[in-house]
Amino acid sequence: MFNIEVEHLTKDYGSGRGVFDVSFSVGKGEVFGFLGPNGAGKSTTIRHLMGFSKPQSGSTRIFGKETFERYNEILGNVGYIPGEIALPAGLTGWEFIRMMQNLQKCKNDKRLDELLTLFDLNPEGETKRMSLGVKRKLAVVTAFMSDPEVLILDEPTSGLDPVMQEVFVEFIKNEKERGKTILLSSHIFSEVDATCDRIAIIKDGKIVSDFVADDLKHATRKRYELDFSDLASCEKFVGEAQKSNILKIVERGENNSKITVETEDKYINGVIEMLSAYPVRGFGHKKETLEDYFMSYYKEDKEFGGALQ
Amino acid sequence: MTNSVIEIENLTKDYGEGRGIFGIDLQIRKGEMLGFAGTNGSGKTTTIRHIMGFLRPTSGSVKVDGKESWTHSSEIVKRIGYVPGEIAFPDLSTGTEFLKSQAEFLNVSNMNYAEYLIEKLQLDPRAPLKRMSKGMKQKTAIVAALMANPDIILLDEPTTGLDPLMRDAFLEIINNEHKNGKTIFMSSHMFGELETTCDRVALISNGKIADVADMNVIRNRTEHEYKIEFNNEADYLKFKQSGYAVVRDQPQYMQLTVSVSNDETSELFKSLKGKNVKFITEAVYNLEKHFKNVLHEEKENSNNVQ
Repeated sequence: MFNIEVEHLTKDYGSGRGVFDVSFSVGKGEVFGFLGPNGAGKSTTIRHLMGFSKPQSGSTRIFGKETFERYNEILGNVGYIPGEIALPAGLTGWEFIRMMQNLQKCKNDKRLDELLTLFDLNPEGETKRMSLGVKRKLAVVTAFMSDPEVLILDEPTSGLDPVMQEVFVEFIKNEKERGKTILLSSHIFSEVDATCDRIAIIKDGKIVSDFVADDLKHATRKRYELDFSDLASCEKFVGEAQKSNILKIVERGENNSKITVETEDKYINGVIEMLSAYPVRGFGHKKETLEDYFMSYYKEDKEFGGALQ
Repeated sequence: MTNSVIEIENLTKDYGEGRGIFGIDLQIRKGEMLGFAGTNGSGKTTTIRHIMGFLRPTSGSVKVDGKESWTHSSEIVKRIGYVPGEIAFPDLSTGTEFLKSQAEFLNVSNMNYAEYLIEKLQLDPRAPLKRMSKGMKQKTAIVAALMANPDIILLDEPTTGLDPLMRDAFLEIINNEHKNGKTIFMSSHMFGELETTCDRVALISNGKIADVADMNVIRNRTEHEYKIEFNNEADYLKFKQSGYAVVRDQPQYMQLTVSVSNDETSELFKSLKGKNVKFITEAVYNLEKHFKNVLHEEKENSNNVQ
């Protein structure tokens, strides 16, 4: 059984906004990446999963239970980090933590202490005086402190510094090992890359791509930037490369001796042999990232001209 | 330092218990884009708020165009295009209404530039402010900050919460402003975006400036580190003995990371020719690595003192 299920979920807000026939499921011990541009429907889907909104058609279930009707049976075992953090006014960090512990009906101070140490958070002081990053840490700690089975994370590291992002990634990997069911929405490709087993991309309210993350991670295609010592050598190499079937030229500098080539790992020895006959003064590896891959799905064009008239 | 637009001298704001900023010295030159990196709570926003004149220094000073920020705040907020890290809009109904009120405040009558920014960021400002997502609020704040075409731009984590497409669109706008000679100070957690946009990047750690990196020096390094994995042990061992500076050796994978200068590149390919290589990747020396080294050294030095 899947702990998180979204089935043909539709919520039409009009003018093409909303989510349309969205389906996916996440199993125990799995991290599911939920990606897409701002406004594509990620948070709408997540809000349905949290039982905040009622589906127009289709259903969202956690532990097999409809989330809108039975959220009070479910939420005690769901950790949620919202995309935008709005903390109640006039509380200190500690008061907020205690309030959330009451709502979660769980007071596990041992785990709380571990989390405070791990995320280097001091919850003393009023929440309104906390910086964005510190508020984010507070949201992370409160979401995990009752050790829930299902984790729904909407842009969890937005505003966290790179050191904390690394800590977070390690933490998620560990939670996955412990058999948690995790939905992760994020704009930070490196953390998606490091944690997710499967990835779906949502755009304009529809799932446009759904795939297993490993397919991408072990890409053996590579791009290298080459800088030749003189223009003539560069020309000559380009000539040779065009006849070769082990690499192709993807970019060529104007009026300089720089080119970018693409090849496969299995051809690297042939490429080395070719290059060893040329004077090369620069060699760099351009990482092919998830980001490059996703950007093609993200591209869109909308007209907003004249909105101020 | 007469051509410094923003001069921060020995700036200290002590909040007690070691929190705050201490003895910050930073000069931002006219037309320069200075990046600002540092961990959560290290003092980035506190420093930026001093430049705007929102906070009064415990000691030291911040000057914008030679004028003390704290005493000239009402003037400075109109001169600087400022995008705060946390956006709190006034109680107005729509984005359009907010942008119009901002235009009035800044005496902007020609909205062409605002329209250009809206188009570029694909923002629909007609949406109610209360119902805007984080990304939309961020975009609205960016348009509000830049529409008067200010000479000085101050950005506190402007890309946090933006999706990658919007981040690119935003960075393109900022790059254009930079090309047009604007003086820009931007904090960010994304080293990649600081690297591609900034002339220099300052690192703040525990309220103190730990380093100011010149991006040209980092970009134009002549030493490169390559990780090379071989398909057989004989070739791995032979290459290991060919005299390259080995940074890391992982015999279990038949993998070597070597440091090679640009003029040795040709030599490298000659040494690899005929050997059975599985793959080559580069461990790029970038800002993130540079700052990690800086902080690591700092830690070691402080350990030595103790």
